[in-house]
Amino acid sequence: MRSKGLLLIFFFFFALLIFPQASRAALTVKANHDHIKIDFLYHGSTVSVTGASDPGRDIVVKITSPDGHEALKQKGKMAGLLWMNLGTIEFEHVPGLYLLSSTRKIPDLLGTDEIKRLALGYDALAEQARISPAATPGEKAKWFAEFIKYKEHGEVYGDSERKVAVSPEGGRQDYSVTFDWPYQASPGVYTVSVYAVGDGKVLEQAETQVLVEQVGIVKRLSGMARENPALYGFISIISALAAGFGVGMIFRKGGGSH
Amino acid sequence: MYLYLPVALTSVNLMIPVGLGLAVGLLSGLFGVGGGFLMTPLLIMLGIPSTVAAATDSNQIVAASTSGTYAHWRVGNVDFKMGIYLLIGGFAGGLVGVQAIKALRAMGNADFVIKMTYVLMLGIVGAYMFIESLQSMRKKKDAAERPAPEKDSAVGRSLKSLPFQTRFEKSGVTHSALVPIILGGFVGVLAAIMGVGGGFLMVPVMVYMLRMPMHVVVGTSLFQILFTCIEVTFLQAYTNHTVDFTLAVLLLIGSTIGAQIGTVFGRKLKGDQLKILLAIIVLAVTVKIVLDLTLAPSLLLGQGGGH
Repeated sequence: MRSKGLLLIFFFFFALLIFPQASRAALTVKANHDHIKIDFLYHGSTVSVTGASDPGRDIVVKITSPDGHEALKQKGKMAGLLWMNLGTIEFEHVPGLYLLSSTRKIPDLLGTDEIKRLALGYDALAEQARISPAATPGEKAKWFAEFIKYKEHGEVYGDSERKVAVSPEGGRQDYSVTFDWPYQASPGVYTVSVYAVGDGKVLEQAETQVLVEQVGIVKRLSGMARENPALYGFISIISALAAGFGVGMIFRKGGGSH
Repeated sequence: MYLYLPVALTSVNLMIPVGLGLAVGLLSGLFGVGGGFLMTPLLIMLGIPSTVAAATDSNQIVAASTSGTYAHWRVGNVDFKMGIYLLIGGFAGGLVGVQAIKALRAMGNADFVIKMTYVLMLGIVGAYMFIESLQSMRKKKDAAERPAPEKDSAVGRSLKSLPFQTRFEKSGVTHSALVPIILGGFVGVLAAIMGVGGGFLMVPVMVYMLRMPMHVVVGTSLFQILFTCIEVTFLQAYTNHTVDFTLAVLLLIGSTIGAQIGTVFGRKLKGDQLKILLAIIVLAVTVKIVLDLTLAPSLLLGQGGGH
């Protein structure tokens, strides 16, 4: 009797050891391109985010850069007539890049508080953003909408619902989504966050990173422009002078009269 | 084929800047303008940040104007003496203009003043050149055999009474040395305020105030622009780190060749024909800026810096 009890306890701990997070951490994530190299022929890339989760879960995938600060020129009507730059408007606590995708509309999956906490969607970003000058909530909403328009135009913001595909696989489900990685995204470290959602709650979450880095001549040129600007300026001028003279000589030899 | 631009941090189809360079270089060789008033907005439309667009354009103008000056020098169309006097004035004027910009910014309405100065200058210069060259072309048609004696304006007469009169052989004119220095200074002030090279102002100043022949004006203007752009390129690279060498190379491949072709075409056109063509381009740019000012833009936010 006693040995049966011991055996049960042993099996219980053995099961915990083998399936340590059977109920909590079935979610996995992998980005196919976790190190994007910017070389001379770089024109953006694609990032496929794949993984597995418990079956029946909805999946939300978000890629962001750390929250930062952007100062932009603000256009408006001067004297009610002419469109011109009226000054600078500052946006704080906004990511430089923000790409979001999910299996279903996020408001159908999660409550407002959870959406706000995880910054899922433009409305949630608007909540956390600080905009100055923007005196009234109406003005803040107007300029945040313009900010989204500006970022989407630069292809660094995107909110595409229902793009994450899921397929059952044994007792789990595989998910995948492919993002067009914009060439406008600057070098840096980007975080890919995946949320498995069920019953109006985030049940599991997982993260991975995408590193975007300049390499080769691109890295050397941009480094030189910043670190050795006098030499960089000098080389730029000498090359331009040489090219101008060179082409002039070629045209003279090539049959230019007089 | 796409190339990545390390300073502009964007990627472009390499045929586009080469083609733009060719077109603007052609205008440069034809009219003696740097073409910044065309090139910078086009580069911004390609997605290049405005500060990088302006700085890189000045780097490529170094190449185009070297190519153009060389081509014009070979056919004897560069007045180096006049060019140097204008440069001295332009340099001093640039320093004054930078201070003027600082004062305007402190007053808080710099952008408005800059835009209005730009539109007015382009509009007045374009309209004046257009009307004048049209009249002159008609006159020549009507009375080719009896050339009207050159009438000196009141301004012209008072300029003649200034000290330090000197002969500019290449241009075939005599002026006080102060005249090109002061006029160069005036253009320098305006160019610095507007943030442009000022070729579109310098050309009419040389034609109408210094009374230089159009073909010498083109060559001399290019010579003058070359030095201005060397200075601007260095300052932009050194202080703002905004020169994109890769983009400049793509642009100058087109513009150096364009400047040579422009010079060849220019020799086949008469002075008045050149003037009226330049006037039409300047007026078209004016209309474009006026439309930009009056039509609602699609985006109300833009990258910081530049104007």
